[in-house]
Amino acid sequence: MTTVRETLAVARLGGRIYWRDKQALTATVLTSVGLGIGLPVMMDRLRPGETSVIVAQLLGMLAVSLTLSGFNQSAVSLTARRDQLILKRLRASGLGDGAVLGGELLNIMAQSVLIALVTTVAVVNLTSATAPRDPVLFTVFVVLGAAVITSLGAAWTVVIPRAEVAAPLSIPFFMIAGLGAGAFGPMNQLLPGWLSTVLDLLPTAAVVKVGGATFADGTFAGDLQAAVVPLLNLSVWAAIALLVISRRFRWEPRRS
Amino acid sequence: MEAIQVDGLRKSYADFEAVREISFSVAKGEIFALLGRNGAGKSTTMEILAGFQRPDGGTVRVLGLDPVKDRAKVRKSIGIMLQEAGFFPDLTVAQTVDSWREFVPVARPRAEALELVGLTGKAGTKVRQLSGGEKRRLDLALATLGRPDLLFLDEPTTGMDPEARKATWDVVTDLAARGTTVLLTTHYLEEAQRLATTMAIMDKGAIVASGGMAETLAAQTGRVAFELPSGVEARDLPVDVTAVEGTTVVCRVPDPDVAAQTLLGWAGERGLRLRGLEVRTATLEDLFLDLASKEKA
Repeated sequence: MTTVRETLAVARLGGRIYWRDKQALTATVLTSVGLGIGLPVMMDRLRPGETSVIVAQLLGMLAVSLTLSGFNQSAVSLTARRDQLILKRLRASGLGDGAVLGGELLNIMAQSVLIALVTTVAVVNLTSATAPRDPVLFTVFVVLGAAVITSLGAAWTVVIPRAEVAAPLSIPFFMIAGLGAGAFGPMNQLLPGWLSTVLDLLPTAAVVKVGGATFADGTFAGDLQAAVVPLLNLSVWAAIALLVISRRFRWEPRRS
Repeated sequence: MEAIQVDGLRKSYADFEAVREISFSVAKGEIFALLGRNGAGKSTTMEILAGFQRPDGGTVRVLGLDPVKDRAKVRKSIGIMLQEAGFFPDLTVAQTVDSWREFVPVARPRAEALELVGLTGKAGTKVRQLSGGEKRRLDLALATLGRPDLLFLDEPTTGMDPEARKATWDVVTDLAARGTTVLLTTHYLEEAQRLATTMAIMDKGAIVASGGMAETLAAQTGRVAFELPSGVEARDLPVDVTAVEGTTVVCRVPDPDVAAQTLLGWAGERGLRLRGLEVRTATLEDLFLDLASKEKA
């Protein structure tokens, strides 16, 4: 119970800081929401009535958005707090390590989910796309995906030597996630088969796959069946993230 | 039970031995000063005691527990003021304290915490606008929010003006009087001498002197200094002269009172005055200088 209370306290503090951070707001919130809403709306104007294309564009942009606001934000923010010795101060406050890191990740994940849901609601309202047939399953996978992707961002900090290079070292991932999810148009159809298979293994692909099922015609049983492999995918990535964090996460900058 | 027990503690970074088999103990309710120059190993020792780093060897007990393995239990009873640690610069002092209060089960009220360290008037100021000394005071407020049984203070008054430094000393003395054990690292010798009852001096990772403050200093040589009267050579004096600094003669002697009486008697017989006569027992600074000179020799 104490750990939950501490984790929520850290998450609340993180949220307060997040919405004051102009860099996070422009690089993450504005970019994610702007592109996430803008491109599907543009597609709706260019190809009116082609709902499946608009939904594909939306899901592709959700992959980009989750990577930007989850993975990148987690890697950049945690590296900065590590280098500024803020993580060290939080640990000195008497909080458990799990509460400090869990609270930081919970906050970033919550912002990431919020951005994804706001984007989805806006696109559904501004275009000819209809709302997902199964909004609960869609939301569950957005939340699970955000949790795993955010944790992977924390794991990625182990290879980031200092805060200045955190953003450039994290940017390629949103490009890769977007490419695999079709955010940049049907470019993924030009890729060799093996590369498409690799891109399908990304955690963002799991969210896109279940998201696609919930937007398409079908049944709840069919949705659950479609969710099994993506759930396995997310579980494997979650295990990788937790393993790296538990063994290699650095709370302080290198001394030499 | 001792509040802190350290036996044969070792810690290295790559080829650099930061702490070399040190041992000491701190009794409950005591203020213990860990002294030494920069890089002596004080902060590394404190960070191991606080559970931030794992020792390479030796045993460490804090309030009877292993600070790494039992960190969850230890952290509830300790307060830590780190030598270096960041703040959220855009939060105000009050917002920072309020945020940290959420981390502590039974925290001091914000007003009490700020009053304790003299930051009441800065409650609405953003942390980025605080001076270095004010940040240290905020740090102390955060470290004492949970009324800890054991308080680690790593260079607590660095960057403070003399008034704030004295106020901080009063806070630390008051906390110790209420039963808080304090482990203090500092390179301000006056601070250690003023606050601590026991101490250890570290140099190059090892403890080179330790014990009760009064006994350790009493075991050191005292100092008698005065202006050499005109027409008198240093070699004519009835005590051994350690150094002549300009016109001032400095004598390091085991008993400075006896040496002063001898000198005054000798001067009186000759109708001489010993201007600027200064007699004092050893200070930590003398101890430090002695250790440094022994090292050079």
